[in-house]
Amino acid sequence: MNALVVLAAILFILMGLIGRGKGIRSFLAIFFNFIVIFIAIIFMNDPNANPIIITLVACIFISVINLFYINEVNSTTKTAFISTLISTIVLLLFIFIIADRARIQGFGEEEIQELGMFSLHIGVDFVKIAVSVIIMSTIGAITDAAIAISSPMREIHYHNRDITRQDLFKSGLSIGRDILGTSTNTLFFAFFGSYLALLIWFKDLSYSAGEIINSKIFSAEMITILCAGIGVTLVIPITSWITAYFLVARK
Amino acid sequence: MNPFSKLLIKKQLLFLSLFVLFIVATIVFVHNNHFLYDRTIVKVLETEVVEKTEVIHPLDNIDHLYTQQLTAEIKNGEEKGKLIHLVNEFSTSKAYDHEFEVGDELFVDIDSTRADTGELQGTIKDVKRDKYLMYVAWVFVLVLLIVGRKQGLLSIVSLVINALLLSFALDVYLNNANWSLLMICSIAAVLFTVISLLLVNGFNEKTYAAIIATLLGTFASLFIVWVVLWATSEKGLRYEELQFITRPYHVVFLAGLFLGSLGAIMDVAITMSSSMFHMFEKNNNIPVKALIKSGMEIGKDIMGTMTNILFFVYVSGSIPILILYFKNGSPLGFALSMNLSLEMARALAGGIGIVLTIPIGLYVTIFFINRKRTRL
Repeated sequence: MNALVVLAAILFILMGLIGRGKGIRSFLAIFFNFIVIFIAIIFMNDPNANPIIITLVACIFISVINLFYINEVNSTTKTAFISTLISTIVLLLFIFIIADRARIQGFGEEEIQELGMFSLHIGVDFVKIAVSVIIMSTIGAITDAAIAISSPMREIHYHNRDITRQDLFKSGLSIGRDILGTSTNTLFFAFFGSYLALLIWFKDLSYSAGEIINSKIFSAEMITILCAGIGVTLVIPITSWITAYFLVARK
Repeated sequence: MNPFSKLLIKKQLLFLSLFVLFIVATIVFVHNNHFLYDRTIVKVLETEVVEKTEVIHPLDNIDHLYTQQLTAEIKNGEEKGKLIHLVNEFSTSKAYDHEFEVGDELFVDIDSTRADTGELQGTIKDVKRDKYLMYVAWVFVLVLLIVGRKQGLLSIVSLVINALLLSFALDVYLNNANWSLLMICSIAAVLFTVISLLLVNGFNEKTYAAIIATLLGTFASLFIVWVVLWATSEKGLRYEELQFITRPYHVVFLAGLFLGSLGAIMDVAITMSSSMFHMFEKNNNIPVKALIKSGMEIGKDIMGTMTNILFFVYVSGSIPILILYFKNGSPLGFALSMNLSLEMARALAGGIGIVLTIPIGLYVTIFFINRKRTRL
């Protein structure tokens, strides 16, 4: 039996047992997200297409799956959706400037020997691909934070109809601050886990501090971690403001 | 305004200006730290594209190759201040090359002096990236502090401590060949969990419940993954793809998987325990059945998004290499299994950990709540 199939089956059974309908939808959501990424990659193969536009479209689909499909279409998920998109666009501009200047696109010299049999001149702009990698790594965490803030804000508004927009915004910020530590932690450890081999490599081959910091792979990964942290933090004021705006404006 | 608060504002202003000064100082430093490097650093003064050719790959990939002549000034070493001529080749795709602009700083090897003019010539080795890393780090710190205030500061502290601890744990592993990486990671995991959760939530029962639930959840999921890998003899996992391997790949993969899911499991555990304690504090007589029911509802809400966070972190990193495989005509199934099998295994294992931690967190928290109840 294929190990991946067994792991997927175990995850499916556990999610079904514990989450029932929503659990099964959560499991299927992973599968759908995989299809979205896969289709996005296929489109990125076209040298005339702009990978950043493709990433934005993919992020819209991913947010639809994570927010509207796993949960349902209601005012909470709608505001979370808008907040996710705005945060993604803000983050995108920042990452584009940094990735372009720091030249962290493509492959580092440590990786290149293994890619000897491939032609690297494939006409696809790897700077833009690097930007989409960072955005895609963070999109799961951004939608998670958006829903985690907008959902309790709706509860607060429901229990306290007279709350002003300003106060609702402030409670959103305070909810956001409470989840900030754990969301950044989730991301940091996920990245630590995937970069473990690289860290051991740097230590084993006794790279000097200067070599590590300036190497393409290490700086690309540090920039990814830091941008992911910036992303999940920026989503807090953005979601609080948008949710407060929509909930109180409607009265 | 009383004199005390005036003093406080003065102190804050002083602190703020010192902080701004510190940021400026580090940025000035990172722009002028050439003397720290043994390798020769140059700053590009002029660039000129002298040649452009079209390359067509057998698979109809069209790209352009450019040759760029650079004039740069040497910033350190014996030849400091002298001009150097460099030749750079780059392509439109820039997968393993770079287009340089005026102001870029590069590491070079000085080759020879040109016989006719006496000008220096060199070869470009790499880009000096430390200043960009510094910019992003400061943006990160400022965004976290402005938005998150105290919690933002704690997140930064927790990141730094965990990174140092990880680095230390790896040093211990590399210096003690007979210690197993998994054992070191297990000890580190206990420390990571205790430090991160105490920093974020302080010393209280919520945190203790979350710590126990995290450790039980992590080890339970690791055990399941280990059994599955053993029972299926790891069929379907392509370890060839695991890059940067200087040690037994199997252990490195398992340790990475273990560490990667730890943060998500902590998140689930603390969400479960703090929301259930919140309900208990609102109503001390809440029946256990009601707690279980609400706890399960919370768990259902978070498991999908949490699993997706891990999925995106792991899978996104493979996008560039997948494009490279596809553009070089690799068969679809081969490209996917080569490049995604380990990432999918990590994401699925993380998902198993997240889902298992929901009931574990639930019952551990109920145990702590009951203990507190009997003391009331």
